[in-house]
Amino acid sequence: MRTERSHKAEKLIERMHEKVNRQAMLSLEACVHCGACTDQCHYVLANPGDPSYAPACKGDQLRRLFKAHMDWTGKLAPWWVGAKSVYTDKELEELMDTVFGKCTNCRRCSLVCPMGVDLASFNRMARGLLVHVGVMPAGVAAVAKDQWELGNQMGVLKEEYLETLSWMEEELETEYSGLHIPVDKAGADVLYAINPREVKYDPRTIAEAAAIFHLAGENWTMSSDGWDMTNFGLFNGDDELGASAAGRLYDAAHRLGAKKVVISECGHGFRSTRCEGPTWAKQDIGVPMESSIFTMLNYIRDGRIQVDPVRNSAPVTYHDPCNLARSCGITEEPRELLRAVCLDFREMVPNRAENFCCTGGGGAMSMSEYAPRRLKSASIKAEQLRATGARVVVTACHNCVDALADLIRHYKLDIEVKLLVNLVSNAMVR
Amino acid sequence: MHELTPLLKFAEGKLQIATLVFMALVYVLKIRWILSFPAGRDRQAPAGASNAKRGVAFSLLAIAMPWTLASFRQHPLRYAQFVVFHLGVLLSIVMSLLIPYAPRLMRAPHVVLGLQAAFGLAALAGIFRLVRRISDRSMRAISSPDDYFSICLLILWLVSSAMAAPNHPKSGELALLIYFFLTAFFLVYVPFSKISHYLYYPFARWYLGRTLGRRGVYPLVRDHAH
Repeated sequence: MRTERSHKAEKLIERMHEKVNRQAMLSLEACVHCGACTDQCHYVLANPGDPSYAPACKGDQLRRLFKAHMDWTGKLAPWWVGAKSVYTDKELEELMDTVFGKCTNCRRCSLVCPMGVDLASFNRMARGLLVHVGVMPAGVAAVAKDQWELGNQMGVLKEEYLETLSWMEEELETEYSGLHIPVDKAGADVLYAINPREVKYDPRTIAEAAAIFHLAGENWTMSSDGWDMTNFGLFNGDDELGASAAGRLYDAAHRLGAKKVVISECGHGFRSTRCEGPTWAKQDIGVPMESSIFTMLNYIRDGRIQVDPVRNSAPVTYHDPCNLARSCGITEEPRELLRAVCLDFREMVPNRAENFCCTGGGGAMSMSEYAPRRLKSASIKAEQLRATGARVVVTACHNCVDALADLIRHYKLDIEVKLLVNLVSNAMVR
Repeated sequence: MHELTPLLKFAEGKLQIATLVFMALVYVLKIRWILSFPAGRDRQAPAGASNAKRGVAFSLLAIAMPWTLASFRQHPLRYAQFVVFHLGVLLSIVMSLLIPYAPRLMRAPHVVLGLQAAFGLAALAGIFRLVRRISDRSMRAISSPDDYFSICLLILWLVSSAMAAPNHPKSGELALLIYFFLTAFFLVYVPFSKISHYLYYPFARWYLGRTLGRRGVYPLVRDHAH
């Protein structure tokens, strides 16, 4: 019987004792190994011969550790209930391979589990335990470092961000007279928070949002600090990072006295800021937060902007981002918005909370070592897309945009990826 | 009235009470253990018209609404097995109380036949579940000795339930003795095995329902067109 344990393994076990709360404990205990989740995971469907992708099997990698140290049956008869501790750094690397490389925390298995086992939540916790002892994919470490140091995931400097806003304002000047992208305006009705990807790779979405706010006559602003609503703490399981990243945005809202925070299209960013952030930061925020999907939809409903769906005539389908559909309940509003701004909207099957992950969830896009696995599992999504016959797949998440674009290239699909803001902006009657 | 042998009298009476008390004690300790873990708090503001209560109700009842769970909707036979198997187990628990305390309720031949049919079908469902666990590679990968032992034991218990259901000690007590000793073993073993999952079920589903209800995920909205 082994008794020698590496320092990191020792620390990970200590941390587990601190981090397991009642919800996690119940998810760790309640699994009856019925296998109902198995064929609901895109990794399993794309790798039918490999049982290590089965959600219950992935969950067991942490479950056996929990049972070995925190469950009396596991302590009494470990072999009987499948309890097993970790001893070496190599075993920690193997755990990392499972929790980072074989699961996107999409929560599809959680929603089909008859027992209510929330694998996605405790897989995130397992990631956090590993991150605590410095075991994580290199890309995860790099992105987390950027978010800690600069407050955003993509290493965007403040100057770069402000210059991009000015550049977009200039771009729009000829088309929209009097359009201004306000920064740090006190007492605005809306504080608009964005994804750093918009600054780095897709600034047109900032311009499009600005045009929508302008035409709607919104009293809005952006912040010079705490402008990033994304949060790598959700992906790497680090609650402290989650609290810090979300806290910067909450501070900005309080500092500027904003009446509402509007979060641009991003599944994990919305979930982190709106749902998880207050819990991580241990504070009640007191400022309403909404997704820009609702903002745009309300502008149309209230007649604050006019749209002409003829301008988006190509067949369109919608990809429900996991974090919006399965963790935030946002499924109907994007559809209402799409029906208002395009002519031919067709559902992907399955959809809403049963939709398959784009395969880029859980920070997968930052883990290049797992890209071949990710793209193989993407065959499920590719088939879903192909079956719609749509020419445009719309989503409400920048992360999904990248993952979908990647799989579209890989599987040579004749389809284009867009965000809702692209379609709304295109349909707007000026 | 046939006089029971002291062994059967003991198996039906004192043994059952002692093991039931033992099980209850272990469950009290288990619930204390569950409650010793701090409950994570949800600080997010409720989303729209959603609320935690509706989410909890949906979460707890989802098991009875197979159309809401894709895993059951796509495998109706597995759901049927699940229902038949658990119904058989429930009826056997009830029978272990009826035989010693209200045998009159089991005198009608159609009641006995009905019970035997339920136990037989449940045992058959158990065999299907066991075969799947053994033959399916991904099921083998997630199965522990406790998983195999528990299902074997339940199948055996259901078969013994079918044999004991006529409750005719004068034509031989063996079936009743096997049934009651197995029941006693069960009562002692269950709290330490996966069979005690029903204790976790309401807690796990309550917390999941509370979180997802507050966020507007539960009750799930489905696409009925497809």
